[in-house]
Amino acid sequence: MREAREVNSAGTAVRPKNENAPSGAPNERALLERVKMHDVDAFERLYRIYQPRLARFLINLLMRPQLVEEVLDDTMMVVWQTAGSFRGTSKLSTWVFAIAYRKALKARARWPDPVEDEDRDMRVSNDPGPDSELERGRIHDALISAMAKLSAEQRAVVDLTYFHGLNYREIADIVSCPVDTVKTRMFHARRRLKQTLSGTFTDWL
Amino acid sequence: MPNPIQTEVSPHDAAEELLPWYATGQLEPDERALVEQHLSSCAHCRRQLAFERRMVDEFADLTPEIDTAWARLRQRIEPPRRTVARPSLWDRVAREAADFWQNLSRPAVAVLATLQLAIIGGAGAFVTLSQESYQALSSAPLPASANVIVMFGGDTTESEIRGLLQANNATLVGGPTPADAYLLEVPSQSRTAVLSHLRADDHVTLAQPIDGPQP
Repeated sequence: MREAREVNSAGTAVRPKNENAPSGAPNERALLERVKMHDVDAFERLYRIYQPRLARFLINLLMRPQLVEEVLDDTMMVVWQTAGSFRGTSKLSTWVFAIAYRKALKARARWPDPVEDEDRDMRVSNDPGPDSELERGRIHDALISAMAKLSAEQRAVVDLTYFHGLNYREIADIVSCPVDTVKTRMFHARRRLKQTLSGTFTDWL
Repeated sequence: MPNPIQTEVSPHDAAEELLPWYATGQLEPDERALVEQHLSSCAHCRRQLAFERRMVDEFADLTPEIDTAWARLRQRIEPPRRTVARPSLWDRVAREAADFWQNLSRPAVAVLATLQLAIIGGAGAFVTLSQESYQALSSAPLPASANVIVMFGGDTTESEIRGLLQANNATLVGGPTPADAYLLEVPSQSRTAVLSHLRADDHVTLAQPIDGPQP
C-alpha cells in the first residue's frame, strides 16, 4: 500500500521518512550508553531497532539471503563489543551502517556476485493488468532482478537513498568515499535501473 | 575534491545528479533551489524526476514481500547453499554478558532462554526463517509441509488454539518445540493473509513464514 505523500511549496512530492529509516533518535544514544556497560536488555532494544533496517540493507547489498543473518550478527557483535569507541561525531545509524557495509563487503569477497545471465528476464509481460497481488509480485521480481544487475557498491547507494532516505553526505560516511563518488555511483545505477526496468513500467517513458 | 555545482560540471549534469535526493527531500536549500531552477527549463530532468519518484515508491512497496520475492529469485541466482552452523549472536552476547556480570547470581541459562526468544521475535518481516534458524528452536527435523512457525501467549487455552487453526485453515504439523513453538501447514497461496490474521490475534506472540527443506 502506497503512503500518502507530502507535497512541499514547490509542488515537489516528498517521501515521508520511513519509520524504519535512521533518525539518530536520542533514545538510541541512551541505549548505547547502557550497551557500553554491557547491559543486555539495552542491547536487545537496540537490536530490535536496527535489525529490520540492517536486514533490508544487507539483503539488497549481498543478494545472498543466507549471508544476511551472519553479517547482521557480526555487525551487531561489533556494536556490542566496541560501543565504547563510538564518539558521537556522526549519527549512531551512520556508524552502525558503516560497520555493516564493511562487513558485507568482506563477506562478498568470499561470495562474489553471480555471473550475469543476460537471458534472465523477469519482465514477464506488458499486460496492463489490474494492480493485483500478481502484478505487484511481477514488479517486485523485476526490481530485484534489476538490482541484481548493479554492483554491490551501487546497490548500497541506491537502497540507502531510495529506501532509507539518507542524504548523499551520510551515505558517503557510511561507504567511506567522497560525496562525488556517491553521486556518480547513483547516476550510473539509475541509468542501468531505468534501462532494465523500461520494459516493466511502460508508463515511464 | 572540487564541488561539481560550482566548477566545470554543467548545471544540467549537476542538477540531474541531485535528482534522487531532491525526490526524497534530502537536499540542502541551495541545492534544492538549483534543482528547481533547472527543472523549470529541462524536460529531460522532469521526466527523470518522475522516474526517481517512482523508484522511491517502488522501493517502499518492495519491503513487505521482499522475503517471498527473494525466495523466488534465489532459486534463479544460485542453488541454495547450506551455511555452516555457528553460535548465534545472542549466544555470543549472552556469553560475554555472563562473563561481565559473573558476580551476579542470574543463571546464564536463563539469559540464553530469554535471548533465544528475543531473536525469534526480532526476526522482522524481511527475512524468512530458514530451516537452520528453525533448528535453533528444536533439534527435530522440519516436517516437509511446515510453512509457518507460531508461538502463543502463556495463557492461551487449547480450545483457543484449535479455534485459531480452524479459522485460518491451518493444520498443526509439529511442536511444541522446547521453546513452545508450533509448526503449521497453511495453504501456500494464502500464507501471507494467514500470517496477518495470526499476528493480529492477541494470543499470538510470534508468526513467521519458514522455508521448507531445500532440494
